[in-house]
Amino acid sequence: MTIMDSNRFDLIVVGAGLAGMTAAAAATERGLRVALVSSGFGMFVFGAGCIENRPLSKADRPELLEEAVGFFSEFTRQAGCPFRGAIASEVHLPTILGSFQTVSLAPFYLWSGAVSEAVRATVVGIDGLTSFDADFVTERLTNQAARLGLSTTYVARTISLPHEAGVTQSTLQFANRFDRDIEFRRTLLEALKPAARDADLIILPGLLGLRTGLEEISQLEQDLGCRLCELPTLPPSIPGLRLFHALDRRLRRIGVECFSGFPVTDLEFDGRRCVGVVTDTPARPRHLKAGSVILASGRFSGRLLGQSLSGFDGQLRPTDGDGRTIADNLHAVGALLSAQGGHGGNQRAILTGYRAGMLAAGQEDRYAAR
Amino acid sequence: MRQDDVSLDNCLKCSDCNTVCPMLAAHPGYPGPKHLGPELERLRREGLPCDSEWLEYCLGCHRCDLACPNQVNVSELIAAAKARHRKPFIRQVRDFWFARPGLLGKILSVAPAVTNAVLAAGAARFGMSRIMRITSERSFPPYAKPDLPSPQASLRASERLLFFPGCAIRYNQPELAKTVVALLQRNGFAPEISTAGCCGVPALANGDGQEARRRARSNVEAMDQAVENGATIVTACPSCGHMLKSGLAELLEDDPELEKRAKRIARHTYDLAELLMAQSDAGKLNTKFRKTDLQLAYHAPCHQLSQGIGRPWYHLLRQIPGVQIEDLDAGCCGMSGTFGFKEEKYPVSMAVGQRLFERIHEAAPKMVASECATCRMQIEHGAKVQAIHPAEVLLQAYER
Repeated sequence: MTIMDSNRFDLIVVGAGLAGMTAAAAATERGLRVALVSSGFGMFVFGAGCIENRPLSKADRPELLEEAVGFFSEFTRQAGCPFRGAIASEVHLPTILGSFQTVSLAPFYLWSGAVSEAVRATVVGIDGLTSFDADFVTERLTNQAARLGLSTTYVARTISLPHEAGVTQSTLQFANRFDRDIEFRRTLLEALKPAARDADLIILPGLLGLRTGLEEISQLEQDLGCRLCELPTLPPSIPGLRLFHALDRRLRRIGVECFSGFPVTDLEFDGRRCVGVVTDTPARPRHLKAGSVILASGRFSGRLLGQSLSGFDGQLRPTDGDGRTIADNLHAVGALLSAQGGHGGNQRAILTGYRAGMLAAGQEDRYAAR
Repeated sequence: MRQDDVSLDNCLKCSDCNTVCPMLAAHPGYPGPKHLGPELERLRREGLPCDSEWLEYCLGCHRCDLACPNQVNVSELIAAAKARHRKPFIRQVRDFWFARPGLLGKILSVAPAVTNAVLAAGAARFGMSRIMRITSERSFPPYAKPDLPSPQASLRASERLLFFPGCAIRYNQPELAKTVVALLQRNGFAPEISTAGCCGVPALANGDGQEARRRARSNVEAMDQAVENGATIVTACPSCGHMLKSGLAELLEDDPELEKRAKRIARHTYDLAELLMAQSDAGKLNTKFRKTDLQLAYHAPCHQLSQGIGRPWYHLLRQIPGVQIEDLDAGCCGMSGTFGFKEEKYPVSMAVGQRLFERIHEAAPKMVASECATCRMQIEHGAKVQAIHPAEVLLQAYER
């Protein structure tokens, strides 16, 4: 086998959000050797990774959105955490606040919650789980559905799950038990059965495991004879972290080298080229070298570009005040691109992540050739 | 602990740390790193009594530190609180010895045959379990005469390589020291063996802050001169490596002069695989390997991950032609040094390891390679598969 330099890559991606992970996956599938450098779980801990249809600018190249989303859908399917939906779809998913979030794609374990006519939904709360109030969610969802003129009905129901006395219950604890304990899955199934009896859909706080996926959750739905929809809760959001772990496992399997836990402190330049990044590791900084670099760590990585950043060119490259690229092989994706607007509802993350991965692989404007 | 440390405000309560805590996953009652670390620290700094027996359950794996998006040293806060934690008398006595594997090793290796016979005797183990609260479920590692290779002739100062063996190698597996030395020699180094004692990780893990500081001080004094003369320190135990790189300076921060020297030692400390991988990157690794059909699984110890050096052993072993190797990536083994030997902690230690044991059964390797001595003990005990230091695999792969 060929011996590969452990510090030298074709591409370094900084940041493991949806943008960075999509970029890493796209470039790896095009044959690049990729390092993914990250610290923490980013936005996954706050949400579930749903994709909203938000306006894109011309520079984002919206004409490539369909292809990017197609790639992303395949990526999540292979990771065992498939997304449902399409760019053109527009569905309303319930939230923990009893409101509706309008999305075009979502992980399968949220997608079933889309409001539609004549669905009888049971909102399940858990005795002792103070961070989720099924009555509150039910009342609000009922009002919201009426406002939208939908005949969906919501009923609240509280179940009891066995737990140690004196231990505060949390969705994280339930998720850990769901991951580890087959007996707990059976207990949950039995507790949910009465709620499923007169319902087409069970809505419950996100707790169906951190390391689970389509297989385990579909099994539960099958045993219940009822569709399930999870609601992302207060941090830590189990559905979001499940997606993170699934994508992370997939990336490792296809050969991405993941460096997690140590933030990038500097970019290294050689003239007009970005030659690598420096990470803040114990004892001495670690220098990782690459043929190209993609910044995908949200608004925080802006500081890595320093004062000179003023915009981006057509190939997602940061430019200085004179409109010159800071480096020819440095791309920026996701939230970092929007100097004025905030989070792009994940659509821009996936589109620009995919594009940058392809650009780094030298596949610019050969997208459809896949 | 610096009182003006701003890192408490860095904690945004996002709970990333809780989601990666192996103890929290296995033990629903455990309050988790967020609470035991930055949350309770606020009260502790106000002088409020909030000692908790749960502090003893922190495995010191540092996964919380790695998960934190805002660089809070969660585990450091817990370790400092653990050092002030009060324990009942029996646990105090037991943990006094668990904190001092160097001293214990010196005594027990005087007559290893006697030691090993006693440690394997059912009656002795029953007594230790009842009186000292040391579980009889596990076997102790056998002790041996610390028969380490003798130091090499003095080399040119700039080429000096100093191998820091640590207690597990020195007293329980001295043949591994020979393996490490031979492996380094095969790659053109002429290492000497450091006489420095225990690194201090066991002391810190057992809540003995004073002993940990004594160890840190003594090790800085033992290695300072060599490093000043240009020596590179090499570790083959990830916990020793973690301590030399991150722990020494933290423990000695009250003494700026010693802290400075500790940081210099840290800068010159390399994990064995990190050093060999650097050789490989420079095209200087001896790759005269024989073909093998070995089917391995690799378990990365927590203190390897906390060093931020990537996966050097995984990549080194993959260079042996014909080898099949799978990175298990299944979290903490649950042993955490002496933790798994404690009677009251044995069940949870095994529960933490469950995920790893299951992954090993799935992978069904002939052997598991892992560089941490106590990870290997736990893997052999929990997954019933032979576990081996990756240095041994690499050395055996060389042509004779």
